[in-house]
Amino acid sequence: MSKQVNEGKSQTTLIERSSELFERYLVPPLGALASNIYLQAIRDAFIIFTLPLIIAGSLFLVIANPPIPAVKVFLQPYQNAILVPFQLSFGLMALFLAFGVAYSLAQYRRTEPVQPGILAMVLFLVASMPVRNLTTMPLGEVLPYLGGQGLLVAILIGILTTEVMRGFRGSRFTIRMPKSVPPNVTRAFEALIPTLLLLTLVWSLEWFVSVHTYVAADHMVHQLTLPVLLMNAFQPLVVVQDSYPAALLEIVLMMLLWSVGIHGMNVVTAIAAPFWLTTLAANATGGHGIVTEPFFHIFAHLGGSGATWPLVIYMLRSKSTQLRTVGKVALGPAIFNINEPVTFGVPMVLNPIMMIPFVLVPVTIVTINYAVFALHWVHIPIVMQPFTVPLGVSGFLATGGDIRGSILQFFDLAVSALLYYPFFKAWERVLIAREAATTTQVEGGRVLVTA
Amino acid sequence: MIHILIVCSWGMSTSLLVESMLTAAQASKYELTVEALSAGEYAAKVETCDVVLIAPQIRHLRKSIEQLAASIDKPVAMIEPFHYATMNGQAVVEQVQHLLATPGKGKK
Repeated sequence: MSKQVNEGKSQTTLIERSSELFERYLVPPLGALASNIYLQAIRDAFIIFTLPLIIAGSLFLVIANPPIPAVKVFLQPYQNAILVPFQLSFGLMALFLAFGVAYSLAQYRRTEPVQPGILAMVLFLVASMPVRNLTTMPLGEVLPYLGGQGLLVAILIGILTTEVMRGFRGSRFTIRMPKSVPPNVTRAFEALIPTLLLLTLVWSLEWFVSVHTYVAADHMVHQLTLPVLLMNAFQPLVVVQDSYPAALLEIVLMMLLWSVGIHGMNVVTAIAAPFWLTTLAANATGGHGIVTEPFFHIFAHLGGSGATWPLVIYMLRSKSTQLRTVGKVALGPAIFNINEPVTFGVPMVLNPIMMIPFVLVPVTIVTINYAVFALHWVHIPIVMQPFTVPLGVSGFLATGGDIRGSILQFFDLAVSALLYYPFFKAWERVLIAREAATTTQVEGGRVLVTA
Repeated sequence: MIHILIVCSWGMSTSLLVESMLTAAQASKYELTVEALSAGEYAAKVETCDVVLIAPQIRHLRKSIEQLAASIDKPVAMIEPFHYATMNGQAVVEQVQHLLATPGKGKK
């Protein structure tokens, strides 16, 4: 018994020492990335302002393109009508993102958020419309740039708006009102100068770009706009992001962040979401892009970040009291892909034994899935859902109703179960030894261990 | 009535903890309301609360959250990761009570 206790002790110190090393060298750079204020504002904007619209809009896309051929034939005449709610929600995501980025950033800056939000939307519209007679312009000409193709412009304008308005507030260049004027009126006047300035700036920039018209591959005359220009500049990046090395980089970064206890999906979303959504929007209109948001949330993070579903099952039957306790709490949330109980309870965070599979398992799954989608074995994800949709159902829905999507998820689950097992067993042994040591000490009545 | 703000990332898992905290508080007849917010929403709302708690998955923001809370005299603390993991509302409520009772940190 005492030998086991000693073994448990030396293991424990080794584990503590290595997690200290991680804490010292891994946490600061990852933490710095995660606490960047612009990334946080972009993240919030996506989650709070655009996600509900994207998800709701996606559903109309599925109805317009139903997976069952008989239904498809029946709905064919109504397809354009069914697509209208999709085009005006999902299709306008950049417009709402401009509002969201400006609003969220203002919250972080602790200034009034609605005014910059509204102004950012207006500025984004000005940036997206060619400077000419708008009354005769077909909506279809600009529509793609108000959605998936306009996200970068929307983010830049959102940040610019809030920062400029904040700079003006309280500076010499604002219109001052006597103290007796109600604060709401004062605020409106305060915003007047930065509003005029920004409006003029974006409009003249747009006008400058707009005079450069070009003839595209379809032999039509197009007018350049800021989103078109920026999209052309960033097109190579979008292509690069939709590749296996990029997917690998993103999943490794997500899991390294989670390994030190930082919400990895959250941080990577802030950087990658514009690209994911551009690709997803292209998929909705017949593209074949693989690296999108559902590629990670629905097909890699089974039961929560790190594909920890199988661990919950292992824990429920564990001989370690700690793991059994965590397993019971973790079961319900796991069904809805929430795994903080696992991450902080096992724990995975700063645990040198569990960190290995915590990175390795999702990397393996991403590799398998990338190959499967590249080989066209499963329909490409086209629909975005809340990440809380349970395993099985979510794979079917994400692929627009391809049952092979669910099968792939269960295959990945089996891979995860297999790879986690030896590491789980090793960690379980450590915990059992630790628990045994604690009880012997208590039983011996010499040292009382208090947590 | 004590108003608690929990700063977290998406509010999904925190809502489970909130539920457990409210049950624990009710059992001990301790009146409180709890709100789970992102760091940005927290910055906009911090004035309205009595206590600020930080969820473990955003501990990298701890310093900036603590600075803001301290600048307007609000007590602030991290939630123990294991309490968070096991959704132990009872322990978190006790932590809040302790935080408010500690002189120099609480407002009363």
